[in-house]
Amino acid sequence: MSSYIIPLIFIILFCYAKHKKVNTYDTFVKGAKKSIPLVVSIFPYIATIMIAVALLRVSGITTFLANLLSPIFGFFGIPTELIELILLRPFTGSGSFALLNDVLTNYGPDSYISRCACVILGCSETIFYVTTVYISQTKVKKLLYAIPIALFCALFGSILACLLCKIL
Amino acid sequence: MNKIWFLMVIGSISCLIWTDPANVLDSMINASTEAFNLSIELCAVYAVWLGFLELVEESGLGEKLAHALHPVIKKLFNIQDSQTEKMIALNISANMLGLGNAATPMGIEAMKRLDDGSGVATPAMIMLIVLNATSIQLLPTTIIGLRSAAGSNNPSDIIIPTLIATFFTCLLGILLTKTIEKLKNKLKRNKK
Repeated sequence: MSSYIIPLIFIILFCYAKHKKVNTYDTFVKGAKKSIPLVVSIFPYIATIMIAVALLRVSGITTFLANLLSPIFGFFGIPTELIELILLRPFTGSGSFALLNDVLTNYGPDSYISRCACVILGCSETIFYVTTVYISQTKVKKLLYAIPIALFCALFGSILACLLCKIL
Repeated sequence: MNKIWFLMVIGSISCLIWTDPANVLDSMINASTEAFNLSIELCAVYAVWLGFLELVEESGLGEKLAHALHPVIKKLFNIQDSQTEKMIALNISANMLGLGNAATPMGIEAMKRLDDGSGVATPAMIMLIVLNATSIQLLPTTIIGLRSAAGSNNPSDIIIPTLIATFFTCLLGILLTKTIEKLKNKLKRNKK
């Protein structure tokens, strides 16, 4: 079902554009041209954040933190096995999907832990990554309360996810 | 961001100096290489979606979408500029479809337009960040794909809990942002 959505959107768009007498080829090229400068300008931000995440993981700090935080997370019903995933999720999309894959193969895709992990990833985002990339083209230095709110929501989402997986 | 990054890097390197000093530069360069490969991938992905976006704009479909989402955006962002509104409408729609990478260029454009040059995030920018950080996603396609690849009996049975969880995190995000904004305005008025 979901695999039909994207092609349908494209068909509708192309037909609509044709109907409005837009030159589809020229317009598409015009848009695609913008992708190179955009990526050139966000690459330094992506690299910088990924370097910090790699160092955190190699140094073992994430595992250490996971052990340290396990009583607190356990209090809210979050399994210890998922803490590293929750800690890394705000920083890296590819990294957290790699961790999810580990969880799926280690515990079996239909286990409680795996289902929690899926819901946690599904209801959260790579907060730091998204924020850095989004403000990279602006002059903003002070984000005020944006990050704390986002992180709080992510934690709330993780707790809710584990709870929902228990009942549903 | 400056503080967080500094803490992450200095903490990790000070740990590694005791445990595995040879690995520091290696893992930094590896990460940077990974970022470079990701960027090339993103460049390809963005080319498709920016071409798509240009068509949406030129054909006037963007205006229609913005018009449809106007009441919601008006309530959340409180902005006047119709071009910005269009970008936000597209950003939210792409997020809902689970196309995070397609949403990014539109989000960046919207942020640029919301920037007032003061160096401090405006309430509308904070709302856009929170919305993207708690993004409502209707179909977690990647996760379902990973589950079925791992041999799940019912890969899509996480859709309903995910929808419920994502709905509530998003709602919480919006409520918190709005409440803090109101409190700040109140404080400002009291000071005067």
